[in-house]
Amino acid sequence: MTEGLGRDAGIFLVACLCGMASGLFGIGGGVLLVPLLGLLFSFSQHRAQGTSLVALIPPTGALALVAYARGGFVSWRTGLLLIPGVFLGGIVGGKLAEKLKPQRMRQVFAGTLFALGVWQALSAWWR
Amino acid sequence: MTFIVLLLGLGVGVLVGLLGVGGGVVLVPAMVYLLGMDQHLSQGTSLFMLLPPIGLGALREYWKQGQVDLRAGILCALGMLFGAYGGSLAALPIPSRHLQGLFGCFLVLSAILLWRRSQLERRRTVAEKQ
Repeated sequence: MTEGLGRDAGIFLVACLCGMASGLFGIGGGVLLVPLLGLLFSFSQHRAQGTSLVALIPPTGALALVAYARGGFVSWRTGLLLIPGVFLGGIVGGKLAEKLKPQRMRQVFAGTLFALGVWQALSAWWR
Repeated sequence: MTFIVLLLGLGVGVLVGLLGVGGGVVLVPAMVYLLGMDQHLSQGTSLFMLLPPIGLGALREYWKQGQVDLRAGILCALGMLFGAYGGSLAALPIPSRHLQGLFGCFLVLSAILLWRRSQLERRRTVAEKQ
């Protein structure tokens, strides 16, 4: 593992990249950050997930949200309705993460993402 | 409709805690297909949903087990703040249809990265056992 400043700079750069994806696709960025922290900086899976959650606490998407809101691309009502569920579900998921086999979980998740992605791309471009 | 949205939030929240991701990656396609929203509108709404510290409850569970690298986390937050602004400026002029296609490609890429990661982890576990 690389040490000190070089590692810090590397993590910062990777985070910038994940942020780009975050603003471009309106997501948290954790879906890229978690595997990259593991693959590039040899974080264990649980540590990568915990650290990714730290990055999700401050409103990192605030600047991006302003840009979307200016374009009129925010459904405030739907967003407000989603927040309580996501918060409560997060606690349940955090407890479950200790008990479930993380590898199998991740593979199921990766498979689901793959299918969703192919579906999205196809429905966008093959109409 | 209100009920569907509330349930959707709960389901996405479980994923947030389980996998340490923001949830937008599932939420955006869900809004496009289940609620029939436009791609840009889904992405903007997802960013709004991420604004409050929704992962705080999940983070507490990881913190209790010492599974958090605070320094790296803060660096990541900083990088993502600036990166996200750049990304949003890039996204807005793209037509919704192409943005949806790109989103799909991004999901496929993330899936491959996640899959690779879990294979590496399995190899490591096997090596430790020997």
